[in-house]
Formats: sequence, structure tokens, C-alpha cells
Amino acid sequence: MALLEINNISVHYGRIQALHDISISVEEGEIVTLIGANGAGKTTTMRSLAGLLNLSSGSVTFEGEDISKLPGHKRVVRGISLTPEGRGIFPAMTVRENLEMGTYALKERSTVDESYDRVFELFPRLKEREAQSGGTLSGGEQQMLAIGRALMGRPKVLLLDEPSMGLAPQFIKQIFSIISQVNAQGMTVLLVEQNANQALSRADRAYVLETGRITRSGTGPELLADPAVKEAYLGVA
Amino acid sequence: MDQWISFDWEALGANFWSATVDGLTFGGIYALVALGYTLVYGVLNLINFAHSEVFIVGAYAVVFTLTSLGFGPSVPNLAWYAIAANLLLALVFGMLASAVTAFIVERVAYKPLRAKGAPRLVFLISAIGMSFVIQYLIFWWRGPNPEPAVIMFQNKPVFDIGGTLIYFDSILIVSAAIIMMVVVDQFIRRSKLGRGIRAVAQDPDTATLMGVNRERIIVSTFILGGLLAGVAALFYVMKVPSGVLYLGGFLLGVKAFTAAVLGGIGNVRGALLGGLLLGLIGNYGQILLGSAQWNDVVCFVVLIAVLMVRPEGILGSNLGKVRA
Repeated sequence: MALLEINNISVHYGRIQALHDISISVEEGEIVTLIGANGAGKTTTMRSLAGLLNLSSGSVTFEGEDISKLPGHKRVVRGISLTPEGRGIFPAMTVRENLEMGTYALKERSTVDESYDRVFELFPRLKEREAQSGGTLSGGEQQMLAIGRALMGRPKVLLLDEPSMGLAPQFIKQIFSIISQVNAQGMTVLLVEQNANQALSRADRAYVLETGRITRSGTGPELLADPAVKEAYLGVA
Repeated sequence: MDQWISFDWEALGANFWSATVDGLTFGGIYALVALGYTLVYGVLNLINFAHSEVFIVGAYAVVFTLTSLGFGPSVPNLAWYAIAANLLLALVFGMLASAVTAFIVERVAYKPLRAKGAPRLVFLISAIGMSFVIQYLIFWWRGPNPEPAVIMFQNKPVFDIGGTLIYFDSILIVSAAIIMMVVVDQFIRRSKLGRGIRAVAQDPDTATLMGVNRERIIVSTFILGGLLAGVAALFYVMKVPSGVLYLGGFLLGVKAFTAAVLGGIGNVRGALLGGLLLGLIGNYGQILLGSAQWNDVVCFVVLIAVLMVRPEGILGSNLGKVRA
């Protein structure tokens, strides 16, 4: 049984159908990536998983339980944490307060101090910026903060929506290496990316999303070698 | 020929300190009501126009409680601690009544619209409608006249500044308003509910992703605003013993809303600053221009002038920036 299973979901914005009958599964400990062009439905998929959008049909199961009707704030408690597109940093809260928000839903508070240490170890930059307000950070720092904040809640699966978007190359490298590192420590990751090359080379498995439909799936290396994927997403003719 | 407007600087000079104290006293009441507008605006970007009725329902509860405890139009013949105990009871009932009203307003007028994803303008209309509904329910029940006056205690001067006597009620109201403001400010900065309120104010979707129950935050915010309006209601009855009538909330509500905008809507400290300033400005203006009718005119002229220069209010808007 997969940790997270998306079974034939469809999502509409008003009358416009954004997702058509999508199925994705994520096993415990995997990095699964979802690649696709702008407007293919990647963010829609992630927001529906996090409970920010309602499904028109299909279901989402997590640890074997149907969570399709569970409101977003309760999915966090179950262990699903989404780092949204655009990072969602609280601009007027300090770095420390943003991280603290990551523990909002935690009932078990005894490990919170340990989580701060762990996050500051992964992102020493955040420690330096601890008292600074979130809105004053650079894009790369905000992305670190967003991932760090998600980790503060000790999720079972980390959903990352375009973590490399708009970042300078050295930050992109660092963010991807952190993702691998966190995954190596046992975190399950579902990663949405436009940066298909980086994403596929780190993914156990991957799905290609085109105009709201899954058109291809396979292991990371398989899709990296797929000529159609190469042409459409890797910039190789 | 008579001038239609004249400035009586001498009168202002002669009454400066009493006008200041009185202005701050009313300002404290405006500030407490302004908090309700500001908190709800912070989390919903919505002006709850029914908040003036949330306030007046609290004032009715205060009057009814005190009347049933034997208070009336003459100074009560009771020891100070007995009066204090009675006022405390009236305060509790006032806060409860306002909080329950705020809760009902949220449930009836806003929540169903939110669930349906209604556009912003619809909330505004619903808010105004709710305001009228409550006003005329009160009218239907109590009629057009104010409730009989309720005198709480023999108001005595406590000390004097440059020949102006400072009365007990002013000290009580101004210090209570400041204390409440500090408590609310700290509550929003430090408590878990306060963090939730700030998170929803800054980014509602991300707040949900942190596990914040947005609906619960919204309801809590309305209730918090209601509790503070109940405190304001007690002080209002203290200052204006025969001011409790069905329309009584309206002008005070508009003033409080103005105070919130003047200070920076969505900003807790702005509500205090805006309230006190508005109280002062109105009082100075009315003495300078020679009649109480000028009070509101001066307040709104100043509001417009300030907003032309600083549209976001003196301290800037947004609950999130409350720490700035």
C-alpha cells in the first residue's frame, strides 16, 4: 500500500476542468516528481492534495485512509505538508516566528527544540536571519525558510511546489541537494518542478502532466532517457 | 453681518485641559470599539458594519443588569465595593451580550456567504443589512426612546492639573482602554490564537497549510471584538447615562470605524492611537467652533485630510504588521 494515493481525481475551477482523472502514487521514502509545462495542472494537483481545493471526483488516500473530504488544516495534522508555489512566507513575521508557525498543528511539543536545531543545521543562513522579518529575505532564503518551516511540523510527506522557481543558480543547486539530503534521512517527497532535468535525476519515479492529464510515467532515469520528454522538457532536440 | 464660522481661540485656551481629558475619555471608548473593526478587517478584509450594533446590544445588557440591581437615575447609596461588584457584573453581562451578538452576526451574515465564495461587495451589503436588522429589532422591542438613565456612582475629582479637575471616570476609562489595548496587542503577538490570527491576516492559504483552522480564527476574532465592545459599552453608559437607544450604536460606531481607519485599519495600536486622537480632535474642534454639533464635522474633515496624505492611516494597515 502506498503512503499517498491519488485515485482518478478531477478538479474544476468553476466550469473549467483543470485536472482530468489523474492517478499518482507515492511510496514511503520515495522522491516522486511531477513535471509539466506552465498551466499543466501541477499546482492544482498539489493544492488539492493539501486540501485547498475540492475534488470534483476521485479520491485521495493517505496511509490507507480516504482523506478526500478532510479540510486542509486537518491534513497537516495527519502529516501532509505543502510548501506552496511562491513559498507562502508570512512577510511580517520573523524567520523564527515563521518556523514556529510550522509547529502550529503539533500536539507533541517535546521535540520542537530539536526541530529548530535540525532546521538551522540544514540552513545555517536561517539562523543568521532568525530575527529578521520574512518579507525582507531573498527568494532563495525564503525558499529555505519555507522548506524549513514545513520540516518543523515533522510531516510524513513533504509536498514541494516549484521550489527552484525564480532562484539564482547557486540556490537552485543548494535547494535540490537539501531535498536529496532530507529524503536520505527518510522523508517522503512529492516534488513539482519545471526544472525537469534536476528533478528527474533525483527522483525515484516521475509523472508527466500535460493539460491536466498524466501522459507518461516511469522511473526518473527512464523519463530522462525518453526522447519525447527530452524534447519537450529537457531542452534537447 | 454674522460670520457663519468663527474660531474662539480664547475658549479653547481656557478649556484646554478639560477638553483634553474629556477627549481622551471618549477616545478610549472609540478605541475599544475600533479594535473590533480592526480585528475583523485584519482577518477578513471586511468592514463589519454591524459592529456598532454589537456594541449597542452590550450597552443594553449593561443598563438592564444595573437596573435590575436597583440602579437608576440617582446616585446609588452603596459602599464603593458594592458598586464595584455590581459594575463588574454589568461588565460581564455587557461583554457576553456583545460577544454573543458578534457570534450570531458572523454565523448569519458572513459564514454562509463565505462557504459559497461570494464576492466582497456582497459581504458589505450583508453587513449593512445585519446592522439595520438589529437596530430595528431593538426598535420593535424597546421603542424610539432611550432607556431611563442609569447613574453608576458619584463621580468625584481625583486630582487637578493646572486648575482643571480630573474626575474618576476619566482616569478609569482611559487607563482601562490603554490596558485592554496592551493586553490585546500582547495576546495577538504571543498566544497561539494570536499567531493564528496574524497568520490568517497575512496569508490565509498558507495559514491553512500550517494547520490553522481559518473558520475558528474568524469566529474567535468576532468574539474577541465583541468582548471589547462590551467593555466599551460599560464605559459608554458611564459617560452617557441616557444614551442607550436603538440608534445609539450608529454614530459611535461610525466614529470608532473612523478611528480605526485614521490609525491604520487592521492595526491594533492604530486603533488606540486613532481613537484617542479622534476624541481629542473632536473635542478641541467643538470648543474652538463653539458648538457640540461641530464635533463630528471636525472629526471627519481631519479623517479626510489624513487619508489624503496617508491613505493607509497613521500607523499603516494590516494586523500582520502589528509588531512594526
